Amino acid sequence: MSASASSRKTPRVGRRRWVKSKTFFSDAQDELTLIGGGATQLEMDLFDAYSPSSDRAPIHTQPIPEPVEIEQGDLFGYLAESPEPTPQTSFEGMEKPSFEVIFSDGRNARFQHASSLLESLEAQDVHIEFQCREGYCGSCRTRLIEGEVHYTEEPMAWIDDDEILPCCCIPKSPLRLQ
Amino acid sequence: MAYTTFNRNNFDTFAQPMFFGEHVNVARYDQQKHKIFENLIEKQLSFFWRPEEVDLTNDRKDFMDLPEHEKHIFVSNLKYQTLLDSVQGRSPNVALLPVVSLPEVETWIETWSFSETIHSRSYTHIVRNIIPNPAVVFDDITQNDYIVRRAETVTAYYDSFISLSNYYTQLGEGTHTINGETIVVSLRELKRQLYLMLVSVNVLEAIRFYVSFACSFAFAERAKMEGNAKIIKLIARDEALHLTGTQHMLQIMARGKDDPELAIIAEECRDDVIAIFLEAAEQEKEWAEYLFKDGSMIGLNKDILSQYVEYITNQRISALGFDPIFEGRTNPLPWINAWLNSDNVQVAPQEAEISSYLVGALDSEVDTDDFGDFDL
Repeated sequence: MSASASSRKTPRVGRRRWVKSKTFFSDAQDELTLIGGGATQLEMDLFDAYSPSSDRAPIHTQPIPEPVEIEQGDLFGYLAESPEPTPQTSFEGMEKPSFEVIFSDGRNARFQHASSLLESLEAQDVHIEFQCREGYCGSCRTRLIEGEVHYTEEPMAWIDDDEILPCCCIPKSPLRLQ
Repeated sequence: MAYTTFNRNNFDTFAQPMFFGEHVNVARYDQQKHKIFENLIEKQLSFFWRPEEVDLTNDRKDFMDLPEHEKHIFVSNLKYQTLLDSVQGRSPNVALLPVVSLPEVETWIETWSFSETIHSRSYTHIVRNIIPNPAVVFDDITQNDYIVRRAETVTAYYDSFISLSNYYTQLGEGTHTINGETIVVSLRELKRQLYLMLVSVNVLEAIRFYVSFACSFAFAERAKMEGNAKIIKLIARDEALHLTGTQHMLQIMARGKDDPELAIIAEECRDDVIAIFLEAAEQEKEWAEYLFKDGSMIGLNKDILSQYVEYITNQRISALGFDPIFEGRTNPLPWINAWLNSDNVQVAPQEAEISSYLVGALDSEVDTDDFGDFDL
C-alpha cells in the first residue's frame, strides 16, 4: 500500500483538495481490502451526504422571485439599482432584499440592489441631503416612522433613536420615512 | 480642585462625567465610557493629510486673472477661515483639557485641536502661493473691522469659560476677592458656561465654516482656484467630524447620559441656544454683504449665500433636537454636496482617487484652453 502511494505523481496545486481526498479514499480502500471489507460500503459512508439519492433537500428548490424592474436616474454614470452582471448563486432564504420605501410626503422607491439606502433613493430620483456618505457627518439624517434597517457601517454621527442614516444602512423591512 | 497632571486617586472611570469629575490619570483606551470618541479619534487619524501635498501652482495664475472684486471675496474668505482655525487650533485644548475627566474625551480634544493646526498651516500655504507678501493678508486679520467683530463673538464664550474655570481650578467654589474684585465661582455656573461654549463651538464648526466653504467651492465650480478647493475639501472632511464630536458632547449632556445636572442646565438654556444660532446666522448674513460689496460672482451672491446660511442653520440646530429657526429652507446650493462629499463616486478604493488614500491628486497640467468649451 505504502509503495503504491509513494509512486503516485505529485498532485497539481489547482486540484489539490480533490486529489487529496481521492488519495485518502484509495489508501483506505486498500486497507479495507486487506482486512476483508467491501469498497462499496466505504463509498456510502464517505459520500452519503452529497449523493443525489440522499433524502436531504437540494440547496435551492423554490424559484427565486423575479427582480422588479425599476426606473432609475443615472448618477455619475452609476446605476445603483441595476442587478449585478454576474449575480451570485441564489440560496433559499438568502434572496436579495427588495423593500418598498415610502416617504410621508408621498415620494416612494424600491430598495433592491443598491449598496446603501441613499444610493437606492438617488438612483430613483428621490433626493435627500448627503455629504460624507460614510456615516460621520449626519447630513442624511432621516426620521424612521416604521420599519427596520441594518447598518453596513457603524454610524458615527449623532442620531436620535427614531432616526437613521441612509448613507450607511440598508432596509431589513419595508420602510416608512419622513 | 487644583489641576494634577497625573491623578493618584483610585476611582471608577465609568462613574466619571465627561467634564468636572476626577482628573484623568492613565491614558488608557481599553475601557471607554463613551466609545464614540474613540471612533472619532480613529477616523480623524485616518484622515491625516498635509497641505504641501496639494499642488497650488495653477491657483497663482487663476488668482492673478480674477477681477478685483473676486480677489476681495477670495482673500476675505481666506482671512475669515484663518481666524476660525486660529481659534480652534488652541481653544479646545486650553478650555477643556484642564476639566476633562475621561481619557477618550481628552485624547479626542487633543486630536481635534491638532487637526485644526493643520488647517491653519494650509492657509499659510495657500496665501504664500497667491500673494508675494503673505503678511498683507495675515496682518489685516487683527485690523479689519468686519473680521474683528466676528472674532469677538467667536471667542466670547471660550474666554469667559476659561477665566471662570481658572478661578475654579485655583480657588475652588465660593466668593473670592481678587485684586479688589469680587468673583463668585460656582460649579453650576461653570457647567452652564461649558454647555453654552460647546454650542458656540458647534455653531463655529457647523455654520460659520460651511459659509466659508461655500465661497471656496463656488470658485472651483467655475474651475478657478481648484488647488485651494482641494485643500478646503480636506478641511471640510475634518470639520464634518469635529461638528459630529460637539453634537455628541451636547447631546450626551442634554440627555443626562453623563452628568444629571447638565441635563437640567441644558433644558434651562434652550432659549440661549436658539439665540446663539440666530446671532451667528445674522452675522454670517452681514458677512455675505461685506464679501459681495463690490460685486457678485457667477453662481454666488449675497442673497444665495444668505439663503444657504438659513438652510445650514436649520440643519444644524435640528441636529441638536431643536425646531428649525427659519421658514422651510431647502439647500440653495445643491452642488456643494458633491464638494463636501469625501469621495464623489462609489467605487472600490483601489480604482478611484479616494481622498483617504491619495492627496494631491489634482492634475496641475491643465491648460486654460481646456476650459474653452465650458458654458456657464
